[in-house]
Amino acid sequence: MELDSNTYRLSGAEGLGRIAGTIGIIALAVSFIGVFMPSREGDPGHARATAKALHMQAAAEAADVADAAAPVATDDHAAQKGSGHTTGRAPQFFQSYLNAFTFWVTVGLGGLFATIVHHLVRATWSVVMRRMYESLMVTLPILIIFFIPIALWGMQDLYHWTHASEASDPIFLKKEAWLSPKFFCLRAVVYFVIWFILARLLYSASLKQDEAPSEALSLRMRTISAPGLILFAVTTTLAAFDWIMSLNYHWFSTIFGVYIFAGAYLSCTAFCVLVTMYLRSKNILTKEINDEHYHDMGKWLFAFVVFWSYIAFSQFFLIWYANLPEETVFFKVRGGPGWMTASLMLVICHFAIPFLFLLSSLTKRCPKALVIAAVWLLAVHWFDHYWLIAPNFHESLVFSWLDVTCWLGIGGIFFWNFWRKFISAPVVPVRDPQLEASVNFANFWV
Amino acid sequence: MSAHTETSEPPLITGTQSFHTVSQRISEVTEARIQGTPKLWWVLMVISLLALANLGASIAYLFWEGIGIWGVQNPVGWGWAIVNFVFWVGIGHAGTLISAILFLLRQRWRTSINRFAEAMTIFAVICAGLFPGIHVGRPWVAWWMVPYPNQMGIWPNFRSPLLWDMFAVGTYFTVSLLFWYTGMIPDLATMRDRAKNKIRKISLGVFALGFRGSGKQWQNYEKTYLILAGISTPLVLSVHSVVSFDFAVSLVPGWHTTIFPPYFVAGAIFSGFAMVMTLAIVARTVYKMEDFITLKHLENMNKIILLTGSMVGYAYGCEFFISWYSGNDYERFAFINRATGDYAWAYWTMISCNVIFPQIFWFRKMRRSILVMFVISIIVNIGMWFERFVIIVTTLANDFMPSAWDYFTPTFFDISILVGSFGLFLTLFLLFLRFLPMVAIAEIKGVLPQADPHFYEEKH
Repeated sequence: MELDSNTYRLSGAEGLGRIAGTIGIIALAVSFIGVFMPSREGDPGHARATAKALHMQAAAEAADVADAAAPVATDDHAAQKGSGHTTGRAPQFFQSYLNAFTFWVTVGLGGLFATIVHHLVRATWSVVMRRMYESLMVTLPILIIFFIPIALWGMQDLYHWTHASEASDPIFLKKEAWLSPKFFCLRAVVYFVIWFILARLLYSASLKQDEAPSEALSLRMRTISAPGLILFAVTTTLAAFDWIMSLNYHWFSTIFGVYIFAGAYLSCTAFCVLVTMYLRSKNILTKEINDEHYHDMGKWLFAFVVFWSYIAFSQFFLIWYANLPEETVFFKVRGGPGWMTASLMLVICHFAIPFLFLLSSLTKRCPKALVIAAVWLLAVHWFDHYWLIAPNFHESLVFSWLDVTCWLGIGGIFFWNFWRKFISAPVVPVRDPQLEASVNFANFWV
Repeated sequence: MSAHTETSEPPLITGTQSFHTVSQRISEVTEARIQGTPKLWWVLMVISLLALANLGASIAYLFWEGIGIWGVQNPVGWGWAIVNFVFWVGIGHAGTLISAILFLLRQRWRTSINRFAEAMTIFAVICAGLFPGIHVGRPWVAWWMVPYPNQMGIWPNFRSPLLWDMFAVGTYFTVSLLFWYTGMIPDLATMRDRAKNKIRKISLGVFALGFRGSGKQWQNYEKTYLILAGISTPLVLSVHSVVSFDFAVSLVPGWHTTIFPPYFVAGAIFSGFAMVMTLAIVARTVYKMEDFITLKHLENMNKIILLTGSMVGYAYGCEFFISWYSGNDYERFAFINRATGDYAWAYWTMISCNVIFPQIFWFRKMRRSILVMFVISIIVNIGMWFERFVIIVTTLANDFMPSAWDYFTPTFFDISILVGSFGLFLTLFLLFLRFLPMVAIAEIKGVLPQADPHFYEEKH
């Protein structure tokens, strides 16, 4: 792998993308076997779930809640299993698949957000990082391909509101207008189209700037970014509501979009740290992206570890304190015997450990430590999404080989496209008026 | 500092400035004799003092008669006092955001506005602290709120968000005060060195803590400032989050929703920036500080107002959507009632002031018009006051028991205490303008072109 020091173009770097793409295709092919795996109907958890559902119903009757809007018995995944509903397909495949899908969508969304904010605040330090953000951003829309299987085959397994038998559910009837399969798919298409347009506009202006230094193009990107931020906020929130929150369609939380966003930017930064460090190991861009930039990336990792924790805590704390049954259902499952360990692990691994690890500027400026932090945070980000998704389907923490293969499958294709885009243009925006300032910037206390 | 890296940006400070002119322009305000104080300052001071006197009289009557003189009754047990409390705490947030978060984000334009924004924070928190104190009914035993091992063995309820408030606001006040004071030390030293009068020299010398500007002292100073900025940053989030808990931990529809903490923080920064804007325009007009507080600073603040206003709009939308999506009839009612019920006028005032009017800042011309930004800053302050009114009053007025519903009407004393709190705030602020350096002298020098180590080389 060689970097032309004048044009900043990488040559001989296609191999990495090819490897990622191959791994992705193989992993997807292997995952495909999972589609034909026997359904979990014979699961020992099944009997327990049925008993639990009956218990919940009894509790509801005892509570004698006159109003249907106060759904005491909304432990719907238990009720779902208890009703013996079967779709004939294996839920595990789609569950792992959705997990991988939302993971990579959030990494891509983080790239879109980072690009938008970079332009809006006229950031100097991150000019050298911009191409990574942009390559993530332009990779995001291709994930629509991976949404198709969910729309065509996965919805029945994943989203219980799609079942006709649910039509008698009084809570479902109140939100039927929103939770209709057609509208759901239409919305997904709209999100991807918006992301595509935003990414396209920003990326083409950015590439144009490589030809000649132009303040006008910087202004243009800023102008696109301002309304882009609003579109980003709305689409990310609704996508989070649709794809993850509606897994338990009785449950709702206004902060949920912010929660997903917090993880998105965190995972994007961790991803970019790893790409930077890979390039560094090949002795590429070591002068342009130096300790000062590592330090800033470390600060963002730290800031978003704290921000995620703040949002996660707000959500948990308010629901726990108010103790309303229609909301506590979410934490009731995750704080129950099967999932308590996982929930505590999330607190320790997604907050306490990275918080302490990244607190010092020593770790932020040390490449090896930063790599450890980034790998760790990507892993816990995946686990965060697992924690959001899996308890809707399982009684307790169980990993499946499909979790790995689906992640590798979508991730491989994602990385292949990311890398293809990244090496197709100069790896830093060569004619950005702020480039030199970005290379030379120093943290003020140095 | 890496001044040389940002040369392509236009200068932050206009006019022909040297280190001396900066010290001179800012210090002379505090050194002026009575005759040298601008007339406009006196006019504003008299108005503020009248309002402050009104506050004193109203509170005296309140203590005599009890809180029955307010409009609070069942079911609206929290009336304007709590609205005002949340309003004033919110105002304070811009100061901390500017001094701490913008500092960590290396936003050097903050240097012109941070000092008086921080001062504003402290005065706003003082105003905020007033309200729970006078709302407790028996203010002479307000110290019962403080947890200490008393002879009766009675402790305040640690599970109550109202007690958390006391800690959150108390911590916030303490740290903000320290931060403000620490930042002022080099400037106090400058003023001490300029002082002609012995008493002034000694008193400023005491407060400057013996700061002589040695390299070692600067190093310690910068480190302290950075650490304080780091400590203050979570405070920006925590204080208003805890204030939002006052509402959100309850079961009441319209109060209990998970987005409240970040939503309150965004709203606080929004209203705080609007207040900084109002005050900045007043201060730069009264004291002719146009070279230091330039249109660029004001424009940047307007962008933050636009951003945070839109974040508040996002939260309104999110709440409304989820109230429908929840399928909970009470949730749905609470929001539909806000928009169409007895208080629809307040709700739409809130929406138009906070979400619609600030959208004018999409236009560069509007962002750079002093008149427009002054008007918008006041509109935003009105809107944010109404936001708290909508949250508190409309929710309580129509809660679970329709037979208990009632319409809240403020009394004369509700209004006079609100007006009076502005008197307190402005009096303190005007005193600050007159007696302390309103712009950070040392920091301004750091963003002058001369501060660049290569400045003189380039001239050759």
